[in-house]
Amino acid sequence: MAWETRERGGRYYTRSRRSLEDGRILREYVGTGPFAEIVAQSDRTGRELAEAERQQERARHGQELERLEALVAPVLELDHAAEVLARAELLAAGYHRHKGEWRRARGEANAHPNSA
Amino acid sequence: MHTPIALELSEDARARIAELRALSEKVEAGDKEARKELRRLVRASSPEVIGRASDIGRRAGRVLAYTAAGGDPLTEEALYAKLDAMRMEIAGENPTPLEVLLTERVVSLWMLTALLEVLVSAQYQKRLGDGAKRISPSYIVQQSRILDSATRRYLAAIRELARVRKLQATAPPVQVNTQVNILAG
Repeated sequence: MAWETRERGGRYYTRSRRSLEDGRILREYVGTGPFAEIVAQSDRTGRELAEAERQQERARHGQELERLEALVAPVLELDHAAEVLARAELLAAGYHRHKGEWRRARGEANAHPNSA
Repeated sequence: MHTPIALELSEDARARIAELRALSEKVEAGDKEARKELRRLVRASSPEVIGRASDIGRRAGRVLAYTAAGGDPLTEEALYAKLDAMRMEIAGENPTPLEVLLTERVVSLWMLTALLEVLVSAQYQKRLGDGAKRISPSYIVQQSRILDSATRRYLAAIRELARVRKLQATAPPVQVNTQVNILAG
């Protein structure tokens, strides 16, 4: 959206829009004078409204993501705790990890957490 | 949320988990003294922490079910029943406290994954259905990432439970003094 200054003097309001048919950017020559002023003002208001709506939408999405994270957090805490506890119990019971696989260490056959 | 419930582990439980984790790392690094200390700590604090974490998992599952039901009491009750049935089926008869915890983890992650799938698909429908008020792609991408992470954790939780069961089946029985009611709301 722009006011162009012509060589002969005066300002000329133009605006761009994307073609619905082939997606190309088309420039519309609206005109000059009071009519062009009204169209320019209307375009500006439209842009401001759209921007305000986008900001609202971003804020709403931010809130929704926060709510989602609040729902996910306890499950992640449980997930983390379970992982640590399972690993600790297995290690305490005499297992060890070999290339990602849990194995019982030699000499630890009867070891378990209550036999320390 | 319909009831104000604590959905976080206490600072004490977190500290114990951090301690168990640090000792486990030492054991895995080959520290034999650390293994003895880990055994002592597992015996002393693991049952209580397992009980608390299982409780958090159960409560979190209910909150997720409540959210997924979207205010429909019948769906809410059906989801609670589904969670209880899953617990019974997955935990099996006479589960050890660790199995109860790992079961709770599987059930909670299943509920979370199901809820996220519904939310993500609802966003896609909104995006397709109403061109005037489109959902931003970045929002859908963020939601999808959370879903992706939850799905991976869910599958890992199933594998972990199966692994622990297999190992415990060949290990001597471990006496732990914890009571965890798997059907308690």
